[in-house]
Amino acid sequence: MSLQRTYLRAGEPVEVKAERVGGDHWRVRVGNLDYEFRATARSDGGIRLVPVGGDAKAACVAYGARAGQAFMVRVTGSTHLLSAPQPRRKGSLEATGMIRAPMTGTVMRVNCKVGDVVEADQTLAVLTAMKMEHKLCAGLAGIVRKVVASEGANVEQGTILIEVEASKP
Amino acid sequence: MPAPLAKPPFRRVLIANRGEIAVRICRGLRELGIESIAVYSDVDREAAHVLAADHAVALFGNSAAESYLDVGKILAAAKAMGAEAIHPGYGFLSENSSFARAVREAGFVFIGPNPAAMERLGGKKAAREEAIRAGVPVIPGTEQDEGDASLVAAAKKIGLPVMVKASAGGGGRGMRMVEREQDLAEAIASGRREAKAAFGDDRMILEKAVAPARHIEIQLMGDQHGNVVSLHERECSVQRRHQKVLEEAPSPAVDAVLRARMGAAAILLGKAVGYDNAGTAEFLVDAQGNFYFLEVNARLQVEHPVTELVTGVDLVHLQLRVAAGERLDDLLRGRDLQPRGHALEARICAESPEQGFLPAAGLLRLVCEPMGPGIRVDSGVYSGFAVPVFYDSLLAKLIVYAPDRATACTRMAQALRDSVYLGIPTNVDFLRRVVEDPDFRAGKLTTDFLKYKPDVVAGGGSEPSDLALAAAVLCEAIAPRALAGHVSSVDAASGGSGGRCSSAVWNELGGFRVFGDGV
Repeated sequence: MSLQRTYLRAGEPVEVKAERVGGDHWRVRVGNLDYEFRATARSDGGIRLVPVGGDAKAACVAYGARAGQAFMVRVTGSTHLLSAPQPRRKGSLEATGMIRAPMTGTVMRVNCKVGDVVEADQTLAVLTAMKMEHKLCAGLAGIVRKVVASEGANVEQGTILIEVEASKP
Repeated sequence: MPAPLAKPPFRRVLIANRGEIAVRICRGLRELGIESIAVYSDVDREAAHVLAADHAVALFGNSAAESYLDVGKILAAAKAMGAEAIHPGYGFLSENSSFARAVREAGFVFIGPNPAAMERLGGKKAAREEAIRAGVPVIPGTEQDEGDASLVAAAKKIGLPVMVKASAGGGGRGMRMVEREQDLAEAIASGRREAKAAFGDDRMILEKAVAPARHIEIQLMGDQHGNVVSLHERECSVQRRHQKVLEEAPSPAVDAVLRARMGAAAILLGKAVGYDNAGTAEFLVDAQGNFYFLEVNARLQVEHPVTELVTGVDLVHLQLRVAAGERLDDLLRGRDLQPRGHALEARICAESPEQGFLPAAGLLRLVCEPMGPGIRVDSGVYSGFAVPVFYDSLLAKLIVYAPDRATACTRMAQALRDSVYLGIPTNVDFLRRVVEDPDFRAGKLTTDFLKYKPDVVAGGGSEPSDLALAAAVLCEAIAPRALAGHVSSVDAASGGSGGRCSSAVWNELGGFRVFGDGV
């Protein structure tokens, strides 16, 4: 059995490939380095990892779970959110003109409509989740080209709510 | 389990709350031989508090307003289930005196202060006036809300920076510090909206900002016979957006003399208004040891466990027994209440400190909570629970107890390393960074502690090691339990198709009938 994933680290894709050598013995290639582990599942949902040929004290417990489109791993007391490289979409809009929902929540207010001329940092909408309000501000000065958000709508994290086209200098 | 009391104070109590506090109250009830009744919204039908209770009643709807804040539904549930008393927990209706009155008028006991005392101390404004009358020092500020224009004028008179606060409540809702005059109007307006949503009351007050200061509070307990005792201080200085992050008892800044003075001031205030049951008097303490009264939280506090650990008192038991009319001098006779050892509490929340503390609802796929000597976890979640978007982001509280503060800090750091909450962002790693901070270890705490610690808040931005990457792929290969079935976070949060919880509530509860006679 083998399993291969590509995750971003410091913005660079890193290929990780795990191959079962036999039993609980695994060989894992991370980038161009090879590691060998004895890996066993624990009843609490985690795994126990012992480096083969290494110091027995280097044994550790790791926990992993999917988190939306990403993978969350917790090892030696730190959690990392790992995501696969995304293909870049080309578009006429600057990235900063896209106002995305920074969290899953409810749209409380929309302060703009298509065609509005807006200033950088102007509040375009207000989102609420878990009893807290969050302002969504324009990343740049420009013209509102699209308003997807409607008041009262539940939106998922990452949804584009408003698009602003940069004003020409 | 300890033997139930010969005569439990009540037979059956309804808990008008959710999450970890409802679970914790269920435990207290069970220990006293009292049956517990949970209430729940649609998304909470398999929540931890429903599983922990002996009975459960659906409130229907999801927003707080149509579920946990709906007085009519809660009273109907209590009546249908034959409850004798209602425990409001914290938040929701806990400090709403009209709810407390409605509970009493419907013939139930309200597990909390009498409504008259609550009215005199519950709101920030009323409490402040009582404190001035009782001779307890307060911070300069406005006494009432006469509209936006008068608040702005008052702010100029008091002098910036000022705190804009909701008159009705606590928990940081609606609270903002304003340093520039041009920010006042927006702060008041958004404070009003948050206060309206959280408490149903949008009145605001202003206070001069005292900084740097420590947030130190006194736990009070009163009975119906005029007794009020102090169970000493908790320090809750480490805050973000005026919400507490880490709490402890005793405070590293409080000696026996200051403890006695603050305790006496809080008791004076409590006795002046005829306070009974649990309550907390909050103070700001400056570097010279001057203390200023802020407000009274007329309810059990989130951070009550640290007091329980250092005093050996079970606050929920005491609440129930004084509500049933027992006397504190009987209940506490012969008890040494002096604080012993040191306790710390960390609030584990579904939020991302690295991204400005954005809250994060969604499916908690894998939860493993720490255990060991001196570790207590008051939790409201489990593996497979979808954290709803509708309520507070608090998932669980990790509380440690040790003989001294240094050991408690080490124990907390280790317990946080052993805490696993995966599937949505949490503040666990941030809490560990706080506890490992040298100034935190040295007890140098102020309410703006985090303002000067951008690295503690943001984290080092450390990249995953080769070990972390290898572990991720191996977890996926051999421990697939936490991976199965993608549920979109909106679905999960709104209780849509994502019913993948491992609970067995329907089996356990069998044929109970909502508002019916099935039990």
